[in-house]
Amino acid sequence: MLKTIQIAILLVLLMLGGCGQPPATDSGTPVKIYRHAMDGAPGSLDPAQAASIYANFVVVNLYDTLYRYKYLARPYQLQPNLAVSMPEVSQDGLTVTIRIKKGVYFSDDPAFKDGVGRQVNARDFVYSIKRHFDPDTRAQGAWIWQNRIEGLDLWKTEGSDYDIEVTGLRALDDHTVQITLTQPFPQLVHTLTQGYAAIVPREAVEKYGQMFSSHPVGSGPFKLASRDSTRAVMTKNPDFRQEPFDLADEGYDPAEHTNPGLKTLQGKSPPFVDQLEIEFITEGAARWNAFSAGEIHFIKVPVSQFDTLLGQHNPLMLKPQYDDMYYFEASPEAGFIYTNFNMADERIGYHPDSEQNSRNHALRCAMVKAFDWKKNNEIFFYNIGQVFPGIIPPSVPEYDSNADATYIRHDLNGARKLLQANGWDKDTLPALEYGFPNSVTERQAFEQFRNFMMGAGYPADKIRPMIFATYGDYQRAYSQGKVALINSSWTMDYPDVENLMQLYYGPNAAPGSNSANYNNPDFNRLYEVSATLNESPERTLIYRQMNQLLMDDCASITGISRTLLFLWDKKVIMKPDRSFLGGYFMRFVDIADPANAVP
Amino acid sequence: MKGPYIRRSFLHGIALMLGVTFISFLLMVYFGPDKTYELLGKNPTAEQIIEVRHALGYDRPFLLRYGDYLKQLLTLDLGLSDSSGEPVSSILSRTLPISIALVLPGFVLGNLLGLALGMLAAWNRGKWLDKLVMSASVVGMSISFLVIIISLQILLCTPYGFNLFPVRGWQVNGLGSYLYYVTVPTIALVLVTLGYNTRFYRAIMADEIERDHIRTLQAYGARPTELLFKHVLKNSLIPVLTRIMFSVPFVVISGSLLLESYFGIPGIGLVTFNAITSGDQPVLKAVVGLTGVLFVLALMINDMLYSVVDPRVAKS
Repeated sequence: MLKTIQIAILLVLLMLGGCGQPPATDSGTPVKIYRHAMDGAPGSLDPAQAASIYANFVVVNLYDTLYRYKYLARPYQLQPNLAVSMPEVSQDGLTVTIRIKKGVYFSDDPAFKDGVGRQVNARDFVYSIKRHFDPDTRAQGAWIWQNRIEGLDLWKTEGSDYDIEVTGLRALDDHTVQITLTQPFPQLVHTLTQGYAAIVPREAVEKYGQMFSSHPVGSGPFKLASRDSTRAVMTKNPDFRQEPFDLADEGYDPAEHTNPGLKTLQGKSPPFVDQLEIEFITEGAARWNAFSAGEIHFIKVPVSQFDTLLGQHNPLMLKPQYDDMYYFEASPEAGFIYTNFNMADERIGYHPDSEQNSRNHALRCAMVKAFDWKKNNEIFFYNIGQVFPGIIPPSVPEYDSNADATYIRHDLNGARKLLQANGWDKDTLPALEYGFPNSVTERQAFEQFRNFMMGAGYPADKIRPMIFATYGDYQRAYSQGKVALINSSWTMDYPDVENLMQLYYGPNAAPGSNSANYNNPDFNRLYEVSATLNESPERTLIYRQMNQLLMDDCASITGISRTLLFLWDKKVIMKPDRSFLGGYFMRFVDIADPANAVP
Repeated sequence: MKGPYIRRSFLHGIALMLGVTFISFLLMVYFGPDKTYELLGKNPTAEQIIEVRHALGYDRPFLLRYGDYLKQLLTLDLGLSDSSGEPVSSILSRTLPISIALVLPGFVLGNLLGLALGMLAAWNRGKWLDKLVMSASVVGMSISFLVIIISLQILLCTPYGFNLFPVRGWQVNGLGSYLYYVTVPTIALVLVTLGYNTRFYRAIMADEIERDHIRTLQAYGARPTELLFKHVLKNSLIPVLTRIMFSVPFVVISGSLLLESYFGIPGIGLVTFNAITSGDQPVLKAVVGLTGVLFVLALMINDMLYSVVDPRVAKS
């Protein structure tokens, strides 16, 4: 009887399993579909609100930006995208002229006359940047250009009237943009690669209003077909400009780029796939199961699967059974994780009394010494994170391999001695709040932090968790000075260390990006000098000096850069990226012809 | 007698609705997630914070905001999502049917099987069959929903198991594809709810079986099926109805967040979770309001059904 039931159940399961296979295409022609998994979902698809990495990934595929990064070159190199060439910059570095390609069209949409997409022009770029300074847009990218472009901040103050010209942001003709800067801004071109700088048509923004964020109208390589909380489906834009792929121009290096399929892309015009499907899968187990089942082509491997996958650590290698099936890449994250001290908090930071100020400094330095980066790396980053002193991570050229490594050395004796020498004991040590948004991992990180501090003699009940429902609530609390120990991370917006140094620039104090409220006049002065310099040994030296100042002041317990593991199906030809190139790589993804499979 | 009873239930329902919406709105405004910092750039100024709070309407007086909220609920014009800019009513109309279609088979099967097993255990109370069913129920209740989902995914959806169903997705365009996508979530839902349902139904059935009139019928020689379905089940309908009716709002609104999240199903549970974590108050307000309305409706319908299954309720 039991056996009959088992057979019946199995038959039903088999029947159901076979009855709903995904449908074939209507035309019957093979359609190349690339299925990508991301560990989060975008909120808005309006470029002005593309603050998250997830939104940025989608936005740069739907819209055009003036510049992007080369597909394969590392370190990252800028490449014209909608711009004809790299910008012409005046001798004084204040006037930047950019020519835009002709014959590029927005996708057809009812927002345009007769529903036919019109040509993209320089005024569209001007309009798109102005939107960030219009409070009605709820834009998130204004901070990049704030006080940088002549007249733009004033334009906002005077009411954000789009018909009023901004002196520093002008369309000289249909295909020429001129930007006048308030001071040299070497990072300007980098900012024009970001989703924030994507070009939108005014007609569509005005037609759809706030709904524009779910109704994208761009000139990018793909068009949005559908989107919900679990996935976005984009189809190839048939009118996307024909620009044959040039391996050499994209930074191809046969020694480094061993995926043999890449060579087959030479001369073809991207995008190479007909459909791009991005699945938003936050749960690591679900992501791994979907990938194992072949439902998606690419994943960022969840840390919980590292043991399953990896055969060895140094160098990182997959186990043979996975090596046969998948391509694999370890990618250091351009950013870092840190715990800032709130320097505006007199319990731990600056104090008007110089003696107490000095004691607070000793307390911070003792806490830096008590933190065990090795254990932190082992527990949370599978021991493949990159620990480094200060805030310049190994992924950028300015990294100093000779920086003071004592800053990241676990030294409990040193910590205890420092506390004792400065009159700190379990009674006098201040109770401090350690803030974090609610999650199991964050809670575990807190417990580990508290445990490290207890090793130096800090009473457990004096390191207190302060938990918030959302990251936004947490950000509000630390911006209002309610958190003494601010655990957070920063992902670089562009490959220039200026983007890291501004995190500790005094005038950027909370609610700005300087959550530590660090305010060292020497650091500030060096930042102001370096901010206008182009990449040079002199600028690198200044950055390193600033890094040392931060460490001398023990303003932050830092840092570690995560190493991300990417895994993808061998029939997919690509070099994935989650850093500065980000979603741009998707236009270059191709699916190998099964009949002509890549060896 | 039923007319005044229904009118009274309706008036109670409206009063309850006002109370529920007021309290939930109060909690959302003063203790709910704040979207301001989600919408600010990385390096905001104090002025930009004020601008965003103004754009979100956070600086408006509480009562005005509550009045607008009631108006939105009455007109079903629920505004635009703060995250995606999509009309909230479109989000709900798109996701609600998916959640219902996802959870309904599991809900129905879970209750029917629970009822059947509960009756079986109650009829055999104290015997090995009762002990077996109850022990299995406890085992079922003890296993985490997450463990069940992940195990089923591996067993039924990946090459490590039978690989018969999809891990993720909801491209439903007919009965075949519906069964293809809904089967594994349904099995998961039945497995996780069956233990609770069985124990609950067993308890009320066992109580009913102990009653004098059932013993009298047994003495008259009534058949077990007649006893169970005509007398025991009928007389137990009030708690059964209560349990089912009050589960309906959960089924309709919250769907099953874990199912939607792990199986990649774009239902309302996932939308609600995202709204909570991102502080998307227009979506949150709509979901909370709608849940309140459904609960009140469930309460009203429940009251009316009481009067149908037991006329003494309406008379009292």
